[in-house]
Amino acid sequence: MIAVEQLTKVYGNRSALDHVSFEVPEREIFGFVGPNGAGKTTTLRILAALLEPTGGKAFIDGADVTKQRERVHMRIGYMPDFFGVYDQLTVGEYLDFYAACYRQSKRRRQKIVEDLLALVGMIDRKHQLVDTLSRGLKQRVCLARALVHDPAVLLLDEPASGLDPRARVEMREILKELQGMGKTIVISSHILPELTDLCTMIGIIDRGRMRATGPVREVIAGLATGRRLRINVIGEKDAAIEILTPLESIRHVESVNGAIEAEYVGDERAAADILFALTGAGIRVSSFTPVDGGLEDAFLKATSEEVG
Amino acid sequence: MNAVSNALWNPIVAKEYRTRMRTWRSPFAITVYILLLGGLGWAAFSLIVASTSQAFGAGSGSNYGQLLFTFLIIFQVALLGFITPALTAGAISGERERQTIDLLFVTPISPFSIIWGKLLASMSFVILLLVLSIPIFSLVFLFGGIELDQVVYAFAVTGATALTLGFIGIAFSTLFRRTLPATVAAYGAAFVLFVGFFAYGYVFPTEADPSVTIAPAPPAVTLISPVVPLLAIASNQPIQGYGIRYKDGSQGPYLNKGVPAQAGFCAPTVSGGVTCSPAVYQFTSATGTTLPSGLFAGWQYWQASILMQLLICAVALLVSALVLPPARRFRPWRRDAPAPAAA
Repeated sequence: MIAVEQLTKVYGNRSALDHVSFEVPEREIFGFVGPNGAGKTTTLRILAALLEPTGGKAFIDGADVTKQRERVHMRIGYMPDFFGVYDQLTVGEYLDFYAACYRQSKRRRQKIVEDLLALVGMIDRKHQLVDTLSRGLKQRVCLARALVHDPAVLLLDEPASGLDPRARVEMREILKELQGMGKTIVISSHILPELTDLCTMIGIIDRGRMRATGPVREVIAGLATGRRLRINVIGEKDAAIEILTPLESIRHVESVNGAIEAEYVGDERAAADILFALTGAGIRVSSFTPVDGGLEDAFLKATSEEVG
Repeated sequence: MNAVSNALWNPIVAKEYRTRMRTWRSPFAITVYILLLGGLGWAAFSLIVASTSQAFGAGSGSNYGQLLFTFLIIFQVALLGFITPALTAGAISGERERQTIDLLFVTPISPFSIIWGKLLASMSFVILLLVLSIPIFSLVFLFGGIELDQVVYAFAVTGATALTLGFIGIAFSTLFRRTLPATVAAYGAAFVLFVGFFAYGYVFPTEADPSVTIAPAPPAVTLISPVVPLLAIASNQPIQGYGIRYKDGSQGPYLNKGVPAQAGFCAPTVSGGVTCSPAVYQFTSATGTTLPSGLFAGWQYWQASILMQLLICAVALLVSALVLPPARRFRPWRRDAPAPAAA
């Protein structure tokens, strides 16, 4: 449904995108993750045919974003990372205006507005001025706006940013419902765990380069390097460190606040091998815990390393 | 959807009407406009009556009407010079600042439609102001001295000026990303339009050669300023002492120069030849509001003014249409490349 091939964007002498490639099949939710300034918004704007790439190609449902803009616009619903709302328009009028922009007839517009407000759970807010809504509700209106022409593809730029936890959960539920309706969704975020249980695919971008892309589980497994363990032993701490240090999977061992913290490479099997090495050497292990936030740490590390 | 309905389809206009008229600003602007115009009309009338009564004991009604009309029409165009840039200079930059422009760009609405939708909405408000001013202008007819066609022409020039300022405002609004510099530039352009082109006639007037046989006219560019045609319409004659310099150093009024000051004559010379002295200003004096010579010879002042202002509109529209598209390529009407053949 979405194909991005060697996409490049250069601003002056700064490269915002450097040969970015990925594909999103139909009905998938693609999480586009990276730190601020990594190139997520630039990629989404190019996909929305709002920005001309310096090089490379991008296609939405076979339509070239640089040459078939109107075809692209009819297939995408774009939600930028800000609230574009007008003063003095009610929620119903706001959606009606954009539906009219997509050349929907007046009768059809009335039904579209009702259906979309029901979808985002705002039917009772139809006559409220958009400008007076809370941030979470504005986000929902903006999502409804992106759906007025029933697009096959949704490009959502940081839809959960600035939302409170409840609004995030509600947004997530709406997106799952949209997936159930057969939409292909690209959703960007700078927080990886936010997307892992929502997306079916993921792409990690950093400083304009795609670091990893594919199904969520595969990408996360690939990222799972440099995980940390916190190990408590009864006495014999120095002996435990001596045993850990030469192990192949261990990167670094240190003593932190009476416990041992070990950074290792690999998955759960590697962690089990480390525990086996300790207990096999007669070390009495009282606790053996992966450090919380390991996935986020791994992601941060992955995106902060110099791209080779 | 055929081409005509496609071009006319523009939901932006209805949206702009809605949002514009819901705020307190619009009724406030209308009230201030009417109060200022009516107040000036009343003040001008009082002053005219007072000064004319003192000077001549009794004034002529038609003179009152003509003077009052002159004051009103000039003041009205000046007021629109203040209002129109404010209406249009934020039209596109405001969308950028509200970050709603991208939301329009991803719809099938073409950049050209965005421009004319914004312009039509703004110009509708100007037309509303012009219509609301008609009762004030109708007072002029109580005194006479002004024909209906003069009012129509004057309103046409005023409308064209507002349109020009509207187009210029939209062009600056697309050129500048922010509303403040766009507004400053639009007011600067309004000043040049009103004062700059008018002052041009004083600084660089038409040089009237004694040998010409038709009455000279002010330089064509001075007619871009609405002041020149409006004064000509109101007084039903060219502006006295404006836009023409005579070789004897005087600057008009050229109506008086229509009478030959000295007839031309030829006389034999000593060597057997003939030398002729040209007549001085032997042209038929210009009357009415027809341009006697120059680029627009035979045209009415207001016709030439409207034509040139429309040319400025066209240039401003072209600039807007070139600059507005997000990908910055000249495709204001957004023609897609043909769809690829099915595999």
